[in-house]
Amino acid sequence: MKVTIKQWTGVASWKWVANDDNCGICRMPFDGCCPDCKLPGDDCPLVWGQCSHCFHMHCIVKWLQSQPVNQQCPMCRQEWKFNNK
Amino acid sequence: MEETADYKKIWTLCEKIFPILNDFNTPCNDEEPFLKNDFEEMCYFMKLNGLQDLLQHLVFNKIEKRLRDEVVPEFWSNFKKSDKKGFKPFYNAIKSLYDNYRKFETIIIRLELLRQATDIKVNPYNERNLHEALKLILHSCLLGQLQADYQTVTTSFYEAALKIEDIDETNVNAVCVECSEEKDNCNCVHFFQETNRKIGEMGFLEPLVGQTLTNLSYNYILNHIQKTCKDNYDSFISGLEKWLHTVVITCLKKIYYFDSTLSLNESMEMFEKKLVNYLYNSYTKVRIDQLFNIVIEYPESLPALEDIRLCLPRTDLKPLLTKKLQRAMETRLLHPGVSTTDILTAYVATIRSLKVLDPSGLLLETVTYPIHQYLRSREDTVRCVVSSLTEEGPNDLAEELNRAEPVDENTPIDDEDENWESWTPDPVEPNPTKKPSKDVGINRRNVDIISMLVNIYGSKELFVNEYRTLLADRLLSQYTCDTEKEIRYLELLKLRFGDSHLHFCEVMLKDIADSKRINQRIKEDSEYDENNIQLSTMIVSQQFWPPFKEEKLELHDTVLKQMEDFTKAFETLKGSRTLCWKNHLGIVNMEIALNDRTLNLSVSPVHATIIMHFQDKSVWELEELSKVMQCPPTILRRKIGFWLSHGILTEIKTDVFSVQEETESQTVTQEDFYVEEFESESAMASAQDQKEEELQNIWSYINGMLMNLDSLSLERIHHMLKMFAFQGPTTECTQSELKMFLSRKVRERLLIYSNGLYQLPK
Repeated sequence: MKVTIKQWTGVASWKWVANDDNCGICRMPFDGCCPDCKLPGDDCPLVWGQCSHCFHMHCIVKWLQSQPVNQQCPMCRQEWKFNNK
Repeated sequence: MEETADYKKIWTLCEKIFPILNDFNTPCNDEEPFLKNDFEEMCYFMKLNGLQDLLQHLVFNKIEKRLRDEVVPEFWSNFKKSDKKGFKPFYNAIKSLYDNYRKFETIIIRLELLRQATDIKVNPYNERNLHEALKLILHSCLLGQLQADYQTVTTSFYEAALKIEDIDETNVNAVCVECSEEKDNCNCVHFFQETNRKIGEMGFLEPLVGQTLTNLSYNYILNHIQKTCKDNYDSFISGLEKWLHTVVITCLKKIYYFDSTLSLNESMEMFEKKLVNYLYNSYTKVRIDQLFNIVIEYPESLPALEDIRLCLPRTDLKPLLTKKLQRAMETRLLHPGVSTTDILTAYVATIRSLKVLDPSGLLLETVTYPIHQYLRSREDTVRCVVSSLTEEGPNDLAEELNRAEPVDENTPIDDEDENWESWTPDPVEPNPTKKPSKDVGINRRNVDIISMLVNIYGSKELFVNEYRTLLADRLLSQYTCDTEKEIRYLELLKLRFGDSHLHFCEVMLKDIADSKRINQRIKEDSEYDENNIQLSTMIVSQQFWPPFKEEKLELHDTVLKQMEDFTKAFETLKGSRTLCWKNHLGIVNMEIALNDRTLNLSVSPVHATIIMHFQDKSVWELEELSKVMQCPPTILRRKIGFWLSHGILTEIKTDVFSVQEETESQTVTQEDFYVEEFESESAMASAQDQKEEELQNIWSYINGMLMNLDSLSLERIHHMLKMFAFQGPTTECTQSELKMFLSRKVRERLLIYSNGLYQLPK
């Protein structure tokens, strides 16, 4: 017997490779989107700080804008720096 | 004694002129002449002695006695012979009565002469003249001795007459229906007219046969309506009215033509009103009896509905209509033998057709109340609504969705402003089933079908949720990327339910479109190597899809390898993201080449994995395969059954399977046949599973609550859960569901229930 697979259509769900499930700011799942967005994934990406914490990009940007003096990570209070990995 | 002699002489004269005075047994022969001298002498004497009034009185007394004792009993005796049906008895009765009447008429004529000669002022019975008085006596005698069943005779007479008149029935054969004579020899019509003339002349057409004629006409009309309307939903009312005038009323005119008491116009006008009213009434009733069928046949039955709409204001049958239609619905529609789809179709037809009858929608609301109640009790209603909304092919609901303009709350107000002159208030009728709901009342006129269906449940969420599950199922089972249609539907639904409710579905559709693009990009990737298996993937955003059914399955290594490669390619394409494969979901298009045949199949991944393992090793034990595939043996056995049924595998001994390279003779060998596996299992977790999962989530809340607050009532728990826990897209839990869940926990001894309060065990 010879079996030839002509076409295999599989199903997979995508997920962010992050150390947590939910965004520490908006408490929404990373695989979802921040409260301002409608579409997850490319339209509502995650960003990592050098402190290794990550958030929805929109969330952390909003947070940083609301901090006039020190730009700190809301989780560990270290200075926030984007980790461009 | 001369005076006595004179009296005697005069008496003889009187007897000669009015023979009835003498002996009422002798026939009063009108031929018998009397001498003018005799008459004059009598008149002179009467006048002289003032006896003229007495004489007139005497004569009338005699006439009355004779009528009462002799003529009328004889007349009615004709009616007693009930064995004689048809034409003759009544004809004969009238004939003899009329002959007698004529004789009395001659007496009356002589009395008239007497009155002129002697100047009598007194009118017997205060009638206008003697003829009227005679008729009055005749009527009173006749009706005084009325036979209980006289109507059977008159009815059979007029029935026969109608039969003769009815063109349809006589046309068939050239023989008269009544006397079985040849048409040319038949005198029936003549007899009939003669009888009518006689009755008319005697002036008791209306008192004697009026009721009979009315009844007959009614029956005739009813029969005609029933015959016309049977299984035919065209518009008939104008035709029927015309028919009434040309056939029934013409026929009645022929009869009433002879009526001497009333003028033809007067009597016919009365009759006509009565008949037209009856026509409308019975037509509406017939239609109401058929209404359920008419509703089902909509729109073919639109003319009939228009008829009912016209007739309803002229009759008083609206309550009857409501009652009958409701009962028909209950007996024919709302029972377990009817599928939900059929009920929905009928419901849609009802909505449409009742809108024709009553644009205000009040009637609709009343009639459909039981349907609402019933549909609410069916589990698959929402599913049916959603699937028929998006189904292909001719379908009321899909049409409705396509046709629909968005329901805008502002439009009805404008509408009413423009037509304020033609505005009519809602019909007033007692409506015990109606709930006092203000917002429904306002928009009742403009509610469209889909909103009505959705309103059965009173919640958009439930409806949208069901749509989401169906959409997910469809997207995953078709595995085609043709989302255009779905997007169109989604847009249409969005118009109705608003963006926010359908946001999840939008993401799902976007996932499909994105997957297509990503697949293409990955295939173009030079590092991605696709020599083993052509793999394409539906990449879904799990947060937005309904939960998938979880099943464990280890795929074949070649596939796993391909998936790994695919994942790697994906990871490079989309930084920081990875894929979680749902091994058991998907569809595999494969070709199986055996020694004597080749098969093309579309199967599920489980089936594909099984057959791929058999390719590596042609004999497997169930246990062994189950370990490799990490699939429970019972389930695996069922899946293998699919291949057994295709004749590719055989069970050589218990739980040992092998490839069957050559078909045995009994199976028909087909060179290349395409089989699509059609297992209608949903890829989604069933609604019950989902609910269960939700309730499990709730359990932690409840636990926490009870820990802090010690003991709580059911209402309190439900209330608090509503505030804190029920916020996801699907969570909605009624108090009764919660109660069931809690009592299960009580049975599992995780809770204590006492005095209506729940507590955690210490």
